[in-house]
Amino acid sequence: MQKTMSCGVLLFAMPLLAHHSFEAEYDFNKQIKLTGTVTKMEWMNPHAHFYVDSKDESGAVTHWNFELGAIPVLLKQGWRKDSLKVGDQVSVEGFLAKDGTKGMANARRVLLPDGRRVFGGSSADTNANQ
Amino acid sequence: MNGILTAAAAAALMIALSPPPSQAQAQTRVVPFPGAVRPTTAPPKGPPGPVPHMPDGKPDLSGIWNGQRALPNQPEPEMVPWAAALTKQRTENYSADDPEARCIPAGVPRATPYHYQIVQTPSLVLMLIEGNIHTFRQIFLDRKEHLKLSQPLWYGDSIGHWEGDTLVVDTIGFNDKFWFDMAGHPHTSQLHVIERYHRRDFGDLEVQVTIDDPGAYTKPWVVNRVSTLETQIEISEYVCNENNTDTLHLVGR
Repeated sequence: MQKTMSCGVLLFAMPLLAHHSFEAEYDFNKQIKLTGTVTKMEWMNPHAHFYVDSKDESGAVTHWNFELGAIPVLLKQGWRKDSLKVGDQVSVEGFLAKDGTKGMANARRVLLPDGRRVFGGSSADTNANQ
Repeated sequence: MNGILTAAAAAALMIALSPPPSQAQAQTRVVPFPGAVRPTTAPPKGPPGPVPHMPDGKPDLSGIWNGQRALPNQPEPEMVPWAAALTKQRTENYSADDPEARCIPAGVPRATPYHYQIVQTPSLVLMLIEGNIHTFRQIFLDRKEHLKLSQPLWYGDSIGHWEGDTLVVDTIGFNDKFWFDMAGHPHTSQLHVIERYHRRDFGDLEVQVTIDDPGAYTKPWVVNRVSTLETQIEISEYVCNENNTDTLHLVGR
């Protein structure tokens, strides 16, 4: 279980959420990348969420709450309700919440147990035309 | 991946993980613009084929359409000072106060990434809207005059008529509570929206929107959009308040 954080300038176009402004809630400059075990999946609108327990090098476990996109957007990106199951090992890349809520982040990329990489659907890759 | 990434490595990583070029929304940039994001590339085209027609000979707009996408090079609206100042304030605060994020109706003519289904009859056109809230619009073709409303509405009063192959939808009677876009363009209850729907071919629906609100804008302005036909799925149930846990965390700047 590993975790990497990065502060850097991201060069891609500023994305927006489908339902709310990305930058009102999350920080582009606080990138997170971790692996862990899925503990819960919420397949609901306006954002699906999944929860991951991730253990750092010292063995300490952090409970993560990752926001995904809206279900219609996720479906188009290949997600299904059972894409993540409790107990799955996943690798997640995303961005931390601005307000500092511990373990709260937006998932931009998720590597599924079968090796498929899907977009988070809510942070950078949804239809921003609204 | 171990260790702290450098800024350059982070940038390279994100570029490598960027969606393919066909996803035009990934090539957009944010500007104060109706639609919040000004696209730099044209939206993809819908499936080809001829325009279907109703038994009465009118074009049949029925179908499930992807959310409207603005075409490139749309003009900026000219706002009166209070509207310009408010838009600037909202944009600079990253739209943290956007009503849509509270599951408030999006009103007209806000574009969303969600599908909408058009159900057409000779006297009534329905738009079944998947999200941001699961709702509908009614466009009455069988009356020529607007209702005298006792109170303003989120979606106004819409009447429609055909001009050739184009369905013209005229809507007034709005409240002033919704934003036009994530950038936060405001309006007043003087808002008058004219939408012109033209099914160019089987898979592409052109939508020209004229926004006339002398309370907030110095002159009427036009936004050109397109929706593509969705043939693979049905619109889904979308209950916005079921899991809207964001509100407490929308801190803005």
